[in-house]
Amino acid sequence: MDGPIEKMMVYIDGTEQSITAAQYSLCLTRLTGARLIALYVIDTKALEDLVKARIFLKEEQMDYERDLKEDSKRYLNHVRELAQRKGIQIETKSVMGRVHRELVREVKEEKIDLLIIGELSRIKSRRDEFYDETERAMRSVPCSVLIVKDEDRVWDLYESL
Amino acid sequence: MAIVELISPEVVKVPLAAGTKEDVLRELVLLLKDAGKITDTDGALDALRKREEMGSTGLESGIAVPHAKTDGVDRLTMAIGVSREGIDYDSLDGKPSRLFFLMLAPPNQTGPHLEALAEIAKLARSKEFCDVLMNASSSEEIVRLFRVD
Repeated sequence: MDGPIEKMMVYIDGTEQSITAAQYSLCLTRLTGARLIALYVIDTKALEDLVKARIFLKEEQMDYERDLKEDSKRYLNHVRELAQRKGIQIETKSVMGRVHRELVREVKEEKIDLLIIGELSRIKSRRDEFYDETERAMRSVPCSVLIVKDEDRVWDLYESL
Repeated sequence: MAIVELISPEVVKVPLAAGTKEDVLRELVLLLKDAGKITDTDGALDALRKREEMGSTGLESGIAVPHAKTDGVDRLTMAIGVSREGIDYDSLDGKPSRLFFLMLAPPNQTGPHLEALAEIAKLARSKEFCDVLMNASSSEEIVRLFRVD
């Protein structure tokens, strides 16, 4: 029988919390020998919704999409550097679409058995519960989910690798 | 980033004194400046004006979402204003705008900017909630409404 964690995915969205999650996932990779994929989702659905709502013009949609693609490159490069610094293999992947749907799709397609995400924002209003795409993904993916907390401790763990 | 994390009574104005499109942009930008959220007031105003020149951000049902990317802010920032009389804002339905969500973001924070605008788009669909906001009597009440709703 295979080990409990064979293939992990860490979700990167550019927040500090997601970078902490990436550091923790590298620690777990070293410990378990599991394969690791870092995923960034370019939220094109939000862009389309803003055009539909008439908040965005078509030109803005294209402009922001370009920015998001650049963000995705920048953050995934950063995660790759974190891995290289510790001599750990990582695969990076950038996809476009609606965040929670793409996360679920990728988890299924890649046969991921552990999804790792950064600490979620504190719920301050009932609306937040419905709007958080990561939380929706967390509820919908078929695999186990690990939420990484305690940035300082994770940094120490990563540095000690 | 949730809207509730961006707002406090200091960045909400009820009622707005402005009577024109230009004045409402200025009033809300100055509100953000007084709250210490803007480093370059003129730059922020210019960015908002340029965006409005491309096409009005006045939607239907009295809502307007002026927004822009600018180096005049260090982080995503937002102001809310309510006009009692309504302001001619070249809105889609031609009706005066009463509820203003003004958003400014530095060019390198597209993700959080998009997330916050998407939340506003969803809010704008809730006529009931927007009506409650438009009829709020104070900035504190607006902030409270975001926290409890």
